[in-house]
Amino acid sequence: MPESVPLPENESVRALVKRFNSPVSIHSYGEVYSDTTEFMNITYGDVIAVGGRHFLVLGDERERRFGMEDPKFWVKRCLELETGGYRILKLEFQEGFDQHIGPLTIPCRRSAAKEARILRLVAGDGRFMQGESFHDARGNVVRVLQRVDGRRLDLNVEDIRANHRTYFHEIYPDILERFIRACRAIHFLHEHGETHGDIRRDHLYELHDTGEYCWIDFDYGYEATENPFGLDLFGLGNILCFITGKGVHTTQDRARDEDGPLITEADCALFFRHRIVNLRKLFPYVPEALNRVLMHYSAESEVYYETVPELLADLEPCLEVLRRK
Amino acid sequence: MDFKKVLISVDASANAGRAVDYAAAMLAGVTDVRVTLLYIERAPGRDRFESEEAWLGQCQLDHERVFDFLKEARGMLLAAGLPKDAVTERTERCSTEPSIAQTILDIQQTGGYGTLVVGRRGITKGEEFLFGSVSTKLVRDARNCAVWVVQ
Repeated sequence: MPESVPLPENESVRALVKRFNSPVSIHSYGEVYSDTTEFMNITYGDVIAVGGRHFLVLGDERERRFGMEDPKFWVKRCLELETGGYRILKLEFQEGFDQHIGPLTIPCRRSAAKEARILRLVAGDGRFMQGESFHDARGNVVRVLQRVDGRRLDLNVEDIRANHRTYFHEIYPDILERFIRACRAIHFLHEHGETHGDIRRDHLYELHDTGEYCWIDFDYGYEATENPFGLDLFGLGNILCFITGKGVHTTQDRARDEDGPLITEADCALFFRHRIVNLRKLFPYVPEALNRVLMHYSAESEVYYETVPELLADLEPCLEVLRRK
Repeated sequence: MDFKKVLISVDASANAGRAVDYAAAMLAGVTDVRVTLLYIERAPGRDRFESEEAWLGQCQLDHERVFDFLKEARGMLLAAGLPKDAVTERTERCSTEPSIAQTILDIQQTGGYGTLVVGRRGITKGEEFLFGSVSTKLVRDARNCAVWVVQ
């Protein structure tokens, strides 16, 4: 990992800011930070100097989930002063926390080193967000990320204006095909001893130019277990259920449908007992083989996928069946 | 396979303690029995630690805890009446791949062990899905040997 260069004279940074024709209004620039330890203090108009480059801070990134917004003070939206390019800087935030999946609690840590390692591994691979990492003057790992030129896959799927039957027959096969490629991307990580660690549907983007899918945010580190890829396989299953159902279907939604099929606990997800994974009960045209894949994630399943090839061995033939119809 | 050649797979947990206790009771008085206490050492996940020092500290702690456990387990088997030269300890390192279960099975096969003993945590379906289970894999994949799973 390249070491940070010595902090330039403030005057030269001022000249850079001045020379740079910012698309946003920068009235004045604040501090120049070569040490990002106190990331809470780094704010709009400051400059982060790392890796021989200078990044003008535009603000903190925000996480938008379930209609809520949380500021991420360690993730800065920036403009690179040398090139004018938009960049996301993830600063080192040593945070340990418990992740909750249904009734389970999993100790987890944000690991800048892990994400930096994966960025090096996937450099040039469009299936993953791209970026570099540098040490700042205090040895903190700073990740300089390129903006993913795309939109969250789940939002795109939700926005498709078609009823489920039309969606499933006309649009879904293409989505599944690309999702299978995204699964192979995760397998690539596993083959190299890495995990994504935080596979969820808002961490998969559809790229504007190619339509291919791109994974983001892989900084969660966990304890090694007997099933090291279990969490990733769990996340892939959740996304598969989402794209197949064109959204999440819950028992609460179905409670209003008195003429609908009887949904039992066995039809629901192992970890989320209100979320229906037996989608064939809702949409009878979902092929049996595809539904069997989904049922591996149900409360009644006794057999689980442990590796991506196991999942794909069942899933890829489903795509062929859908293509033939 | 020689069923009197017994491989007890342990970590430093209470479940492993129960497995050793059970094996000691079952094997007491059995002639020509040979027991190997096997510990598969896997370093804790590096990404979960703030620094290299913290990680190395945990590795050291784990190592010491297992060293003490193996000593205690050996004592339990000898106390049950097994001869000193019938009990050996073995430690093997294992990374993410192959799994701990596969490493145990490889040793069982190459060593000709006819009996495999392991403790069981008693995990939920959800935990088995996400984290996996060594004992479940051993029962599923073991060949040519008896598997004693001690709850």
